[in-house]
Amino acid sequence: MQVSVNKKSERKAAYIFIIPAVVLLAAFLLYPALQTVRYAFTDYNIMRPDRIKFCGLNNFVELFQDKDFWIAVKNTLYFTVLVVPFQTVLALALALLISSRRKGVSIFRAAYFSPQVTSMVVVAILWTVLYNSNPSSGLLNALLVKLGMEPCGFLNDPKTAMNSIIFMSAWQGAGYQMMIFLAGLQGIPKDQYEAASIDGAGKIKSFFYVTLPGLKNVISYVIMITVIQAMKLFTQPYVMTKGGPQNSTRTLVYYVYEQGFQKRNFGYACAVAAVFFVIVISLSIGMKKIIKAE
Amino acid sequence: MRRRAVTVTVTAMMLSCLCAGCGQVKERVNEDGESVITVWSPTDEPAIEEWWVEKIEAFNEQHKGSIHLQREAIVRADSYAYEDKINAAITSNDLPDILFVDGPTVSVYAANEITLPIDDFFTQEEWDDFLDSSKQQNTYDGKIYAIGATESSVALYYNADMLAEAGIRIPESKEEAWTWTEFYDAAKKLTKDGVVGTNIIMDKGEGLPYVLEQFWISNGTDLVSADGSQADGYINSPEGIEAAEFLNSLIQDGYANIDPIQKEFHNERAATMLGGSWEVATLENDYPDLNWGVTYFPVADNGGTLTSPTGDWVASVTKNAQDLDAVKEVMNFLFSEENVTTYAQAISKPPTRRSSYDVLTEYNEYPRSLFKEQLMETGHPRPRTPSYSVLSAEFSEALLNIFTGVDAKEALDAAAAATDKDYNKYYAE
Repeated sequence: MQVSVNKKSERKAAYIFIIPAVVLLAAFLLYPALQTVRYAFTDYNIMRPDRIKFCGLNNFVELFQDKDFWIAVKNTLYFTVLVVPFQTVLALALALLISSRRKGVSIFRAAYFSPQVTSMVVVAILWTVLYNSNPSSGLLNALLVKLGMEPCGFLNDPKTAMNSIIFMSAWQGAGYQMMIFLAGLQGIPKDQYEAASIDGAGKIKSFFYVTLPGLKNVISYVIMITVIQAMKLFTQPYVMTKGGPQNSTRTLVYYVYEQGFQKRNFGYACAVAAVFFVIVISLSIGMKKIIKAE
Repeated sequence: MRRRAVTVTVTAMMLSCLCAGCGQVKERVNEDGESVITVWSPTDEPAIEEWWVEKIEAFNEQHKGSIHLQREAIVRADSYAYEDKINAAITSNDLPDILFVDGPTVSVYAANEITLPIDDFFTQEEWDDFLDSSKQQNTYDGKIYAIGATESSVALYYNADMLAEAGIRIPESKEEAWTWTEFYDAAKKLTKDGVVGTNIIMDKGEGLPYVLEQFWISNGTDLVSADGSQADGYINSPEGIEAAEFLNSLIQDGYANIDPIQKEFHNERAATMLGGSWEVATLENDYPDLNWGVTYFPVADNGGTLTSPTGDWVASVTKNAQDLDAVKEVMNFLFSEENVTTYAQAISKPPTRRSSYDVLTEYNEYPRSLFKEQLMETGHPRPRTPSYSVLSAEFSEALLNIFTGVDAKEALDAAAAATDKDYNKYYAE
């Protein structure tokens, strides 16, 4: 009897403890999310909040015929598919590099992590200058010209703009994943490496047969968060390219912002956001299933 | 039972959010019984910030016991942060009494009944003192919705040494302004040794319609129809396409950079520049060794229209204003002869009141006189259409697409279609 009363009051306490979190989540996540779905079925223009009319599935019909929307889907997926492996491998390589060193570890760790501490807006502005298509003002192009190569359009060329953003994003983001990998590497027992070397495994073999399996959970976690972050790509196109040139860097979140706030087509932006939400949720569920199955 | 408790809490919380969203209209009176009038405007350079502090203090001193004026300076940078804040205030019905907006957006706010007409705020005599270019920009549907203290204009700055060396003619009067062909030939001649012939504003934002719309006007067309209801047949008319192709030729042939460095002209990396009237002060103060001059905005070949950009930030009165008499008092104060003059002086921009030019005599002398002349005789404000936000974004995008290889007609057709779609969706009768 006594036990059950205790349990009861414990439960009560538990509910009280989660109330702040629930309230905040509901106010800043659940409520706006539900409103987004509601507005997706209206012709809401931000300038006329008192003249919102229900318009059924119009926004969704329009959306599925909207060329720009599909380009944004394609760009977002392209970015994700390329940046995730690139950034993960880069982070793992940096982590291995650091963990194999004895001296100056903290200096390297800080150096690789520092882009992550810097605001993305600052990093994006910096890289816009580096990527300047004019060899007399863009550092990278000056270097290319010095090496006797043709200058590259980078952000001004639809063929290279997204790849340029992918490269700088991976450079900026890899430091964070590197820290997670470093923690994971420390969790692999030393004796496994010893056993492997006794069995005659070299560095490469022990990487594939000890390190990688030991990092399996960490890798799947890193991939998961990188995918979700990649899907939300916004700051880089916003600061560096405004979605151009020729639509080549317009991502879904940028498209939502552009439609909703710049063009004030809020109902339509909500429809895009709702579809985006469905895409991200299905991706997350799909990935979880694959990871679990493995 | 507990589950119910949680459900009740969440529901109550959501309801309270809803109520907070609707927001009760607060009475704009302070504890001293004074009508509180709030002004929103973007943060500005120190001289202007000081102007505000001084003027607000003076106003509040004069109106003690009746009106209290306050200003909220909002950081704008070059992004849409200011507009985002306005959007939020529109939704929550919490706009300030007086709202500063960028000139071409006056019609957007007016068409959506967010701002009120202010024709009766000033006497006819006072209105007559304001420049036509400014009044024209601030008029929507026959009524005046905003008022500004300063104007702007854009003309062609040139590096006098480089032009002299290349032996290029400098126009002395607006009738002699360079034609596009002359502009192109000069840019071609001047491009050498890491210096480009010209700098056409490439900010990927509002600067593009502000400066480059003039090429459409000069070639006998515009971005939209006069009543602002249609873009198709204007922005993408044969004349418009020709204008875009002309600008593109400057970029493609290497006579202008698509990615110019900051202050390209000031640092002698561009021989000419389509620059704003505010550059005069910058060049005088920060680049005293540069030998520069300024001449008229180029005009289309074969007798194109003489034209130049105008427009600046202006003050409008919002629908959330309560004490309109007090607002009128404030507006009369802010835009009095004296205050327009001191404001224009502080910000180094041409004033909107003719009478201010009697005091600011520097506008009678070159180079400022050229901007005054353009403003009074060839100024054209940006299009007045409720779909301006879409038009502006689409125009910038179209130009950037053209400059990176898309066919001019295709890009401008897309801009026309998107603008017309917005107009027809929300504003067509």
